[in-house]
Amino acid sequence: MTLIEVDDVEKGFPSHHGTISILNGVTFSVADNDFLAIVGPSGCGKSTLLRLIQGLDHPSLGEIRFRGEPVDHVSREMAMVFQNFALYPWLTVTQNVGFGLEALGWGPERIHDQVERYVSVTGLVGFEEAYPRELSGGMRQRVGLARALAVEPAVLLMDEPFSSLDPLTAESLREEVLQLWRDPQLPPEAVILVTHNIEEAVAMADRIIVLSYRPSKVLAGVIVKLPRPRDRKSEAFYELTDYVYSLITEGGPPATTPSAQKGPPGPAVARPGGPR
Amino acid sequence: MASAGVGKRSLAWLRWRSPAASLERGPIPVSTRTERSPADLIPWVMLAGAAPLLAFAALPDIGAIGPTLRVALVDMGASFTRMLVAYVLSLGFALGYGYYAAIHRPAERVLIPILDILQSVPILGFFPVVIIVFINLFGATSLVGPNLASIFLIFTSMAWNMVFGVYESVKSMPVDLKEAADSFGVHGPQRFREVIVPATVNRLVYNSILSWTAGWYFLVAAEIISLSNQSTTLPGIGSFLLTAAGNHNAGALITGLAVLVVVIALLDIFVWRPLTRWAERFRYDQTPSGASEVGVGPPTSGRPLRRAADRVVRYVRVGAVRVSTPIIALRSTLAGHPRRGPPSKFARSAARTVALGIALTLSWLLLITIGVAVFGVFQQPLTAEVRGDMLSLPLALGLSFGRILSSYVLSLAIAFPLAVLVTRSPRGGRVALPVIEVVASVPATALFPLFIFALLPYLGFEGAAILMLMTGMLWYLFFNLLSGLRAVPPDLDEVARSFGLTRRQYYRRLILPAIFPAFVTGSITALGGGWNTLVIAEYIHYSASQRFQVLGVGDLLNVGTHLPNGTGYPLMVGALLVLIFAVITVNELLWKPLYRRAAERYRID
Repeated sequence: MTLIEVDDVEKGFPSHHGTISILNGVTFSVADNDFLAIVGPSGCGKSTLLRLIQGLDHPSLGEIRFRGEPVDHVSREMAMVFQNFALYPWLTVTQNVGFGLEALGWGPERIHDQVERYVSVTGLVGFEEAYPRELSGGMRQRVGLARALAVEPAVLLMDEPFSSLDPLTAESLREEVLQLWRDPQLPPEAVILVTHNIEEAVAMADRIIVLSYRPSKVLAGVIVKLPRPRDRKSEAFYELTDYVYSLITEGGPPATTPSAQKGPPGPAVARPGGPR
Repeated sequence: MASAGVGKRSLAWLRWRSPAASLERGPIPVSTRTERSPADLIPWVMLAGAAPLLAFAALPDIGAIGPTLRVALVDMGASFTRMLVAYVLSLGFALGYGYYAAIHRPAERVLIPILDILQSVPILGFFPVVIIVFINLFGATSLVGPNLASIFLIFTSMAWNMVFGVYESVKSMPVDLKEAADSFGVHGPQRFREVIVPATVNRLVYNSILSWTAGWYFLVAAEIISLSNQSTTLPGIGSFLLTAAGNHNAGALITGLAVLVVVIALLDIFVWRPLTRWAERFRYDQTPSGASEVGVGPPTSGRPLRRAADRVVRYVRVGAVRVSTPIIALRSTLAGHPRRGPPSKFARSAARTVALGIALTLSWLLLITIGVAVFGVFQQPLTAEVRGDMLSLPLALGLSFGRILSSYVLSLAIAFPLAVLVTRSPRGGRVALPVIEVVASVPATALFPLFIFALLPYLGFEGAAILMLMTGMLWYLFFNLLSGLRAVPPDLDEVARSFGLTRRQYYRRLILPAIFPAFVTGSITALGGGWNTLVIAEYIHYSASQRFQVLGVGDLLNVGTHLPNGTGYPLMVGALLVLIFAVITVNELLWKPLYRRAAERYRID
């Protein structure tokens, strides 16, 4: 079932010299059970796209639909995890995790139980009364994750969530997110991960949307058919990473690779993975 | 999707499988104790100093100290209540006005330029007018009128900088915190409670301290003015001090001062310091992601008025010249609060368009004053006395100007060597600075009765006036020069020394140019304080028969106020207009161009 449709979206920002076009006709869709990654060079509008999807901003042209309805206000069925954590320094971990629940109209007892559950799920037990300044970067992002999961969103939006962390912490957090994703009893139904790290995209996602340089279009939708847990050292992994990389640098699929097809930006086959 | 009953087993499994999380021993202990500094001792020193003062006061007549103390305390209570009411009003006003200006662009374009001008206007000049207005509203015998006038005056000294504090806090909140609130649909009361207000707490606490310092100054000034004009006696510590001086009662004078010092010290210990420690919690110590909104955002659309207003807003935000209540400039330099350096290229074009804001607010002020004037005033023919006085306004302006200039030069002659001393010799600094802090805590206006009482025979009228003006100017010059000297980069200093510059060359080539911007800022605030102080320093009527008076604009303002039957109102209004005109002219023709030059040429980046 299709959850999100991004339909020929364009976005420009006014500046002193006129309008700067960031997104120039982006089209793709997200179905449930999709773990989608969006990759592209810096400034190609990946983060902007995420905000458009949630409804924090509006496209200049085109439309975004969630469950068939156009997105014209901030959707509460989606929740975002921010690159720099965006935690409120004057709220404790508990208060930060419960931040979005009061806005949903929940009562204090229900909020308390929900917070307790997701504090436990994200490994924050023992830190409930701590303030963000007392936490390491990894713990802070766990709080961000818990906050997003606590509102039980249908779609989890992640805006370069690991890029502010050191490599070791980032890696362990990626593992945890994948574990949460695998658990069928936990939300969400779909995940959209924005990242500039291609390895990360290949390691985590089922499908990768590759954006071009600004003003960006979708260069390809690449299906990642590698078995989980992903083996970073496998040849297939390397090839896929290379392929995505070359898509970006050459602005399209390389003409020389015989088995490559320029994939339409939807759930279509682009590149088989797996051992030859 | 999660169902209501997530099995304990799956959760436990999950937790066990997150080894990285379990490696964390616990929250990183962050010390919440702020470091102790010698400055913490200052209020205790003040308290300790007050005791011998009281003893000294009691010496002439031990028996009288009791009742005197009681009266002083009662009057202090009245004054304190006025301060508290004005503060609460300022807080509410600041939260509303500042927040609204921060989130509504169209409102911002109007509200901020107005505020920028309002804080340049010499508040005390308006005070006699305000008193008359309020008395007419509430009747000559009721005390409500003068009390409200006094509260209003204190309010104007407190409110503007608090508005800027709120405005700044909201505008410079990290973008992703605002986004997170939007993303989770947090609006309304929860947003106000958990997002907006906490973001302002830090600045508000700091600005509250500044506001109270300014407030004390104007509170005492207000009481002195109303007593001088014999309109009514406002019970308060300022009136107490002035009456004591008029009665040549040294004991009472010193008792009153001691009480004032004690209250200020107690407030510091039991309110401000704990509040500042509590406010630490609201700091963002992680580097905020996303630029603050200066310079980011859609360009302004065509209309020139809107463009100009936007430039003024940016100019204000970049921290350009704030000719605010002088005490605030003083305190902010003292606290080492990052006093924003000279503005960048915004200042050049923006300073020109500040004229737009001036035109707006000035015409508004003018309309009100003219309205008052026309209504009550010019219905009566001018008496000969009043006409004579009005004709002497230009002369009065000249004399006042001369006085301000003299005290400015004298203050500079003291402030500059003092500032050099404090920076050059660390030991000198450690001794001098705490002393100066103590002195600066006490509102200078409280000392005026003391000056008249003790020093008049030695200084004469002009001398005393100049001395009172100097108390207003000295510290603003000192602290600005101090911060300018401290900001001279040590490597430039080393170059000068390694090339063997003589002392004269050292000052001429390095020091003077380097501190030029700070010098200009200090001068602007000092002179602003000077204009304000004129209203008290030239005319104090401290007992039935004794009047301290020198011809000048401030003097004529007061004379016009207390002439019987309102015959003097044209004079009062005329003097006020002349005062405003002088301030704004000097600011525009001299200081702002000078400031622009300072920012362009002498800025050290």
